[in-house]
Amino acid sequence: MAEQFYTVASDSETTGDDKAQQSFPDVAIGIDIGTSRCSVAIWNGHQVELLKNTRSQKGMRSYVMFKDDTLSAGVTGGATKEHAHEERDILSGSAIFNMKRLIGRMDTDEVVQASKTLPFLVQTLGIGVRPFIAALVNNMWRSTTPEEVLAIFLLELKALVEMHLKHPVRNAVLTIPVAFSRFQQTRIERACAMAGLHVLRLMPEPTAVALLYAQQQQQLMHDNMGSGIEKIALIFNIGAGYCDVAVSATAGGVSQIRALSGCTVGGEDILQNVMRHLLPNYDNLCDNAGQTTDRIKSMGLLRMATQDAIHKLASQESTEINADLGNGLKVCKLLSRAEFEQVNHVIFEKCERIIKQCLLDAKLTPEDINDVILVGGCSRIPKIRSLVLGLCKKEGSYGSIDDLEAAVSGAALEGAIASGVTDPSGSLDLLTIQVTPMNLGIRSDGDGFAAIIPRNTAVPARRDMLFTTSQDNQAEALVAVYEGEGKQAEENHLLGYFKITGIPPVPKGAVEISVCMDIDAGNVLRVFAGVVKPQGEATPPFIEVRMPTLDDGHGWCGQALAKMYGSKLDLAVLPKKLQP
Amino acid sequence: MAGFFSTCAASDHYCLQLRSGSAQHELTRPNKYRRRSMIRCCSTAKGKARRDYYEVLGVATHSTPHEIKEAYRKLQKQHHPDIAGDKGHDYALLLNEAYEVLMRSSSRKADGFGKSRGGFGSGYTGDGCSSWNGPMRSQALFVDENKCIGCRECVHHAGETFAMDDVLGSARVQVQFGDADQQIQVAVESCPVNCIHWVGSQELPVLEFMTRPQPKEGHGVFGGGWERPKDVFAAARNFARKLERQEQQERSQGANGGGREDMEAETAAQAEARRHAGQELRWKSLLDIWNGLGDWRKSGTDR
Repeated sequence: MAEQFYTVASDSETTGDDKAQQSFPDVAIGIDIGTSRCSVAIWNGHQVELLKNTRSQKGMRSYVMFKDDTLSAGVTGGATKEHAHEERDILSGSAIFNMKRLIGRMDTDEVVQASKTLPFLVQTLGIGVRPFIAALVNNMWRSTTPEEVLAIFLLELKALVEMHLKHPVRNAVLTIPVAFSRFQQTRIERACAMAGLHVLRLMPEPTAVALLYAQQQQQLMHDNMGSGIEKIALIFNIGAGYCDVAVSATAGGVSQIRALSGCTVGGEDILQNVMRHLLPNYDNLCDNAGQTTDRIKSMGLLRMATQDAIHKLASQESTEINADLGNGLKVCKLLSRAEFEQVNHVIFEKCERIIKQCLLDAKLTPEDINDVILVGGCSRIPKIRSLVLGLCKKEGSYGSIDDLEAAVSGAALEGAIASGVTDPSGSLDLLTIQVTPMNLGIRSDGDGFAAIIPRNTAVPARRDMLFTTSQDNQAEALVAVYEGEGKQAEENHLLGYFKITGIPPVPKGAVEISVCMDIDAGNVLRVFAGVVKPQGEATPPFIEVRMPTLDDGHGWCGQALAKMYGSKLDLAVLPKKLQP
Repeated sequence: MAGFFSTCAASDHYCLQLRSGSAQHELTRPNKYRRRSMIRCCSTAKGKARRDYYEVLGVATHSTPHEIKEAYRKLQKQHHPDIAGDKGHDYALLLNEAYEVLMRSSSRKADGFGKSRGGFGSGYTGDGCSSWNGPMRSQALFVDENKCIGCRECVHHAGETFAMDDVLGSARVQVQFGDADQQIQVAVESCPVNCIHWVGSQELPVLEFMTRPQPKEGHGVFGGGWERPKDVFAAARNFARKLERQEQQERSQGANGGGREDMEAETAAQAEARRHAGQELRWKSLLDIWNGLGDWRKSGTDR
């Protein structure tokens, strides 16, 4: 009802160029929140249009500046030119950035630990609760949360879009890294809700690129009557915080994702490695505990110098770094490309591993790949380019995609498709068939993990599995849902848990408990569980649970569950047997 | 050939509506369901409870992976929840399941796994094309489509059970016991050529498979096209015998081959034993080294 009301409101504004937008006012916008840069795009009725901020930037630096009582995000970047935030201000401790790396992570996470070298305050206790994050305001640390920071940013982004469209927006499609757990996804949704945005879809970044690729292929086919044969593309995306790979099969405007894999390495890690290389006692200096304004300032200077050097190394064989960090500290070094690659070899190995994994999962060899698409800021690093192309045995990468704008364009396309927009010229006649990036299952047989929906299953998906009790006369059973790649439940992310009660008192192994998992196109996971055998009046009703049910500070939860109920309420996998 | 394709597509629609309806039902009131219906929403891996996935995708039983992919994409484009909204969920689930099973089986065929069955029995999934209303019974209905003259009497009397295949011009059983027993009896008796038979429900899948037109092997300009055995019952008996022989063969091969199916059938105890053995093997080398070290040390002190 509310939507209808506001349709009328936008109708009352009858300016000429609003016409195209009026016919589908509720088109979802596409947002790419990057670790370092954000961008937003809309389907304007004919094509995808990237929006620019007041300083006519398409990619806006992701940060939120805390100053006295005012907050300002990177979208406007300090509104006017004379107040424009410079990199120096952002690194002064009063701005929070890298929220995409921090969101939904516990303080035991190594990514959070690595973030302690950032200029703002990241305090950890190392016990599996959320980290304490604070920004420096008037020489005082003011606490905040990654969700809050992201929400402030999204709010400014939303204002920018509304200013451009001249009507309110409500729905959005956001891109997320493949490595995001479902818990982190709920955090993103929470941040969006705080900003007044409804998340229509969260799509993994490489799949958004795959959709754009599908559109381009479709266009090509229309233009020169090309053949509609299937094309296999490998999409490699490496940004500042995450690295993802997808293999997609594209034909007839349908991009079918064959496999996904991702990990949490990116430009931030490369930057830190180089900083560590330049300044041997780096860890001592930027230990978060003893942060002073002076130290923050010198670290900021080092960061800027290093970033500059890495950018230069993309085109030069070597570069000289000359930075005066104050307090008598000086960095003066000639950094060669070979040295740079040596320092970061662990990161390149990780990239290599996930590409190999992805090809293996897709059951394809490098020879099957038609196109290699490289996107993300760090894909400009020569070593990464040569590494990906080498693994895929290709000479060059696919050229007609902009490496920084591809993901957001794909998200805007998906937004238009999922909002039900059709285009007469057929450029929206597209579809992405997503897959699940991680195994989903429950704890069983002690600390084992029984995967019910394996990774790379096409979405929507529904699978079920039979379990049985592990004790005689067991009346209750605990269903603890996990997500991840580990063989043991504890290695994976706990998503939620619930009990099945009222199991008929029979010897162990005689009961059949069905646990069914269902993922819909909006990526909502529902778990159904209940007793299917023996049947009778006494069997309790099925339980339906929408996952994840957990809130913050759940690091201990899994261990506590195992300790309290592990053996008492355990489930065992029922061996598969032949059905009549 | 084109005729056969369109048949699939036409009957397909009806079936799917029926099935997606029941899937919805399971979601809302699962506890009222008997075990058999729970298996329906069971995943594909079990293989035995397969539906006729070829019909779901509307492709011929001998389709190449390419054709299956194309059909899958075309249907997904109509029914994927991104396009059709939430109501497309169940349909898309079914498509995903069908696609996965068919791609797996066709790649297996390509690997030569099921080659011994040849063109003759390929595509037999062990599942009939009619669905069951209510529990399985020992008897089932079967229409001998060779004899059927397309009089529509049975469809008229028991419209839930029988359906007309307008392309092949014959009636067929769509839902076993879809109507009341009395109506079904009237329908059976009303048939002017007595082509509706009561058969054992074990024979039903084979019969229903045999009665569908099968591609004939072509030799240049001769042969090819589609055919259906003249005497379905004799053909079904033959086929069942062949299948049995084949299964025996496979079993004897499987005993020394040890494929993936065997892995799945492994019981918890066996898994435990295997893990144990593996661990022992791993530890053994360490122990050997340790013992060796001990010996060496001892000899050292002796000296």
